[in-house]
Amino acid sequence: MATPRTFAAPPALWDPVVRLTHWGIAISVLVNAALDEGGSLLHVTLGWLVLALLVLRLVWGVLGPREARFSAFPPNPLAALRHLGQLFSGRVSEYPSHNPAGAMMAYAFWACLALVTLTGLYMTGGATPMQVAADKAAVASGDWSALIKESEGESSDERSDEDKGLRHTAEEVHEVVANLLLILAALHVAGVFVEARAMRRNLVAPMVLGQRRK
Amino acid sequence: MTANPDIQTAGRRQTATLSIFLVIQTLGTVFFVGDVIGDLREDPLSVHFIFEAVVTAALVLGILFGTFALRRTIELLRAQDQALQVARGALSEVIDRQFQTWALTPAERDVGFLALKGLDVAEIAALRGAAQGTVRAQLTRIYSKAGVSGRAQFAAFFVEDLLGEGVPDAAPQAAQ
Repeated sequence: MATPRTFAAPPALWDPVVRLTHWGIAISVLVNAALDEGGSLLHVTLGWLVLALLVLRLVWGVLGPREARFSAFPPNPLAALRHLGQLFSGRVSEYPSHNPAGAMMAYAFWACLALVTLTGLYMTGGATPMQVAADKAAVASGDWSALIKESEGESSDERSDEDKGLRHTAEEVHEVVANLLLILAALHVAGVFVEARAMRRNLVAPMVLGQRRK
Repeated sequence: MTANPDIQTAGRRQTATLSIFLVIQTLGTVFFVGDVIGDLREDPLSVHFIFEAVVTAALVLGILFGTFALRRTIELLRAQDQALQVARGALSEVIDRQFQTWALTPAERDVGFLALKGLDVAEIAALRGAAQGTVRAQLTRIYSKAGVSGRAQFAAFFVEDLLGEGVPDAAPQAAQ
């Protein structure tokens, strides 16, 4: 029942799963990078939320409608460079989904998000927000044993140096990739503006509510 | 203006609701998968673990089916929208051609379209900034050029083609 599109143009309105995952991840990443404290209940909760949204978007990339599927925007660095060249000369071709450069951006985002959430999971020992909240409540009520459990990786003698090294690496990666995500986000926003100018087309509306009809 | 935006809004609302539900479902499933992986390291043969693993597998399947169903709904809505536009385009083409055949003047053509859309004389007059008498006279000329008795027959002229054959014959027999 897939409707063949007669001409290649980006969708007038992205489907709700694409929009929900896009804005959910965007807001969560910004809040976790700028507003809250690493390891806090909000930080861990948003981390889990990002992981869920990422998983859903990746499933949607296989099972979703045409323009949301990976097959509509395969990773192709050469095509991405060609597209950027077109952008400088001012004449860009239209694509039914992400343009090749935008596609590379999407894959870069997903790789970074996977890295940042997985290292985050490693750092918390896979603690769910419920466990973090319970630990914090226990500490607040005077039971400091939760603190010992929490920092086991660093202080306990049972852990080997290798584990400490791994944990340290995870922290480094978490921080570096989180900063990389912010740089990518800035590039992404700049890219949307440049593309929209070159295509003379509103590219923001399809990601929000689409063009309002009279 | 027509019923179409309502259908679209309803469709949008439905898919948006399904998507939000899917996000919540995925969040729950990710927690459960994490939990199962945690349990796997402790005691993979306990009843607790096996039970949880089965429940988690069901959740994962639920997401996959939910995703698939949502995709079908979105594609169905798009196909309907497209079919509606094709039908609308085809109908307006038929009307245009018929108006040409009847040799309606441009003004009569406009009035004829508005009449087909269901506007009454006062509304058409207000829209066109003309006197009601003028519109009434134009409508009379349109009906006489088309060879129909009045507005009902005029509208029926175009609907008839869409209804298909056999219906007018079958209806009186069924009534008897």
